[in-house]
Amino acid sequence: MEFWNEFKRDKSGLVGLGILILCILLVVFEPLIIPYKEAGTKWRSIEYWQDNSQSAPPVWTNLFTKTKQAASADLRDFSKTVDADGNTIYQFHYNYQYDLAPYDLIIRAVGTGTIPLTVSVMRPDKQVIELFSTSLYNLSENEPIRISILNSSRDSALSFVREFESEENFGNIQTMSAGVTEIIFSEAKPGFVQNQIPLKGNYIFEIKVSQPIAEEGQEIPKVYFEEPHISVVGRVSGLLGTDNSKRDIFSGIIAGLKWALLIGFFTSIISVFVGVIYGIITAYFGGKVDSAMMFFWDYFISLPVLPILIVAAAIFKPSIWTLVGVLIVFSWAGSVKTVRSIALQIKEETFVEAARALGASHGRIIFRHMAPILIPYSFASMALAVPGAIIYESTVSLLGLGDTTVVTWGQILNDAYQGQAMLTGLWWWIIPPGLAIAIIGMTFAFLGFALDRILHPKLQTR
Amino acid sequence: MYKWYAIKRILKGIVIYSLLIFTFSLLFNKVADETQRSQIEEQVRAEAMRQKGKKAEEIKAFQDQRRKALIRLYGLDKPYFEKVISRTVKTLTFNFGKSTIIKSSDGDRDVRKIIFETIPRSLLLFTLAAIIELIIAIILGLKKAQNPGKSLDKGTTLVTMILYGLPTWWLAMLLVMLFAYIIKIFPSGGMYSSPPPEGIMRLFDMLYHMILPLATLVLLGFWGGSFFIRNIVLSILQEDYIMSARARGIPEKKVLFGHTLRSAAPPIVTMVLLGIIGSLGGAIIFEGIFSWPGMGNLYWIALQQNDIPVLLADLAITTGIYQLGLIALDLIYGFLDPRIKVGGKA
Repeated sequence: MEFWNEFKRDKSGLVGLGILILCILLVVFEPLIIPYKEAGTKWRSIEYWQDNSQSAPPVWTNLFTKTKQAASADLRDFSKTVDADGNTIYQFHYNYQYDLAPYDLIIRAVGTGTIPLTVSVMRPDKQVIELFSTSLYNLSENEPIRISILNSSRDSALSFVREFESEENFGNIQTMSAGVTEIIFSEAKPGFVQNQIPLKGNYIFEIKVSQPIAEEGQEIPKVYFEEPHISVVGRVSGLLGTDNSKRDIFSGIIAGLKWALLIGFFTSIISVFVGVIYGIITAYFGGKVDSAMMFFWDYFISLPVLPILIVAAAIFKPSIWTLVGVLIVFSWAGSVKTVRSIALQIKEETFVEAARALGASHGRIIFRHMAPILIPYSFASMALAVPGAIIYESTVSLLGLGDTTVVTWGQILNDAYQGQAMLTGLWWWIIPPGLAIAIIGMTFAFLGFALDRILHPKLQTR
Repeated sequence: MYKWYAIKRILKGIVIYSLLIFTFSLLFNKVADETQRSQIEEQVRAEAMRQKGKKAEEIKAFQDQRRKALIRLYGLDKPYFEKVISRTVKTLTFNFGKSTIIKSSDGDRDVRKIIFETIPRSLLLFTLAAIIELIIAIILGLKKAQNPGKSLDKGTTLVTMILYGLPTWWLAMLLVMLFAYIIKIFPSGGMYSSPPPEGIMRLFDMLYHMILPLATLVLLGFWGGSFFIRNIVLSILQEDYIMSARARGIPEKKVLFGHTLRSAAPPIVTMVLLGIIGSLGGAIIFEGIFSWPGMGNLYWIALQQNDIPVLLADLAITTGIYQLGLIALDLIYGFLDPRIKVGGKA
């Protein structure tokens, strides 16, 4: 309680605690927060990300540009009707309020068997374009359906243009690569492909699943078509944009948070704890034990951590847990010396002498009498050791030597480096992961310095 | 006795370094073995190509014989422990053998040569950065210590904490993106333009290439140092002899630079040396991003090319420099602060 009262007076410490609690909440509620739920496990799955746009800037960049670019979206709300002929019609509303059309629209669903399919769009000017009409044959059970409008609607888009354009102009357009989505989302009048004026308003996309015609003497086959939705592949996407493998960076950052915290906590807590116990033991026994243990310590303090870590990672290709273990082996030595000097004083205190006189064992004196006094002192070093551990992991990952089964911030940065993000100026790919590392570092620095001031009151006057 | 203290410290350093190299040989024995075997295979095949006008069986017999001879020559047929020991001795005597792919600037594949030409480049960059950082840190640290708790002190301390966990290489990436690709005023990497200019312009060219990496290091480097110096100077300023110096009317400048900094020198030297050897360790990514052709960049290249001999030798040399730094630290500290030497005798 007294501790908390002291802590409350430290503003930066409170800020640090606040951010830390926020981070833990983010980790706990991760599935509710991130738009791509399986980002953590399917980070390297090409299929999982295929409907996204590539290297798209964050959505909020629209606030700073004059021409608003279409954002990525997933249209999931639809109304389902069955007409007189037994055809099922799914209607999707899309409110288009941008200046630049999305790259593509992707029709997605799961289906079984043979499905005759027609997709059309009714524009705000009441023009209807039949985008494509196709039949999907012999799908196996619940096979995913994925149809890109960019690939399958070029002809229908061109014939829509023909209605408005002169013959001569149309010839030019045909040879040009006129974008399908630009045609759909532009005002229709002569010359509109060259001079696109966006047509804003409500677009109604219609997926018509026709009733298959029964062959003679056979029953009408049942059509199974479920979970239809339309992915809008925008030019801007998500809170933090996407990378060149179409992955949502915001999801990656949040999914990486738990690994950063985990690496930081495990490494710092265990290594500082080991260091404290080591320091107490060497001080308590003194003499030859002390000399031998301090030589061993000298050996560990002489290891240049990062180069060894990198060479070892390159040769042994560790998992994230092995990496944490190796980090602990390399970093426990850091806290030994200060603990040892304090323990040397405590050892001479009367209560230790009393305990010994009462016949307490060495283990009891070390763990029951000395460690409880010294461990609180090390809380500050624990907090201050967290950023280092996170930076070590991200450095190893940045070199492409990390555990590829998880997402960490270092790996996102490695992808950014390999993907030439610096050269092409994809700042939304480089800034967030590094900033995340820096913020976590700052959080624990705030906490560590605050704890330091409280636990080592001598420094307070300074 | 400073002499005994120094000798003892150096001997301990040598023992620890040998032990470290022994550990590395133990850890990386298998991969070093495999690399050597594939190098032998390559050599045998090259020699067999030169044997013209021989039958297939003869060539095969020749290859087998050569392979056996080379394996014996490199000691690969020896038992495990003997191999580890011989590798330790070889590393300690800087016999690193040949690289698999990487070549030195004049096309040599001698690993020792490859590494030794990178060391001065790394030292140049990081020592220069450390000197600039130290100057800024001393000025700022003294300013902070003179008015503790005032807005300058509090503000810079806050910045120090905010920057605590910021990776230097990330700032490097940002600055390269900003100043080399978006606003094209600095080169994106390397040490010289290609082709490098002649004469005095060569120096200026190098300085021009050095601005961005140096700026990155200094921008992040001096904050922690100034905070550290502030704490030390503050504790010294409370000492009686400072008060008496002030009472005697000695100018404040002289008190600060003459009396205070003299007593603060040992910990400051520690900080600077630890900073330099620390940044050498962390140089791998940093130099990689700036393609600064130092030891760190060599790690990066060796990793990408999977050049194990260079990688292991680079590790051995880095560890050696690290160890040298630690020894130098204790020696200088013992020299500046005579109380330490007592510990050396006991």
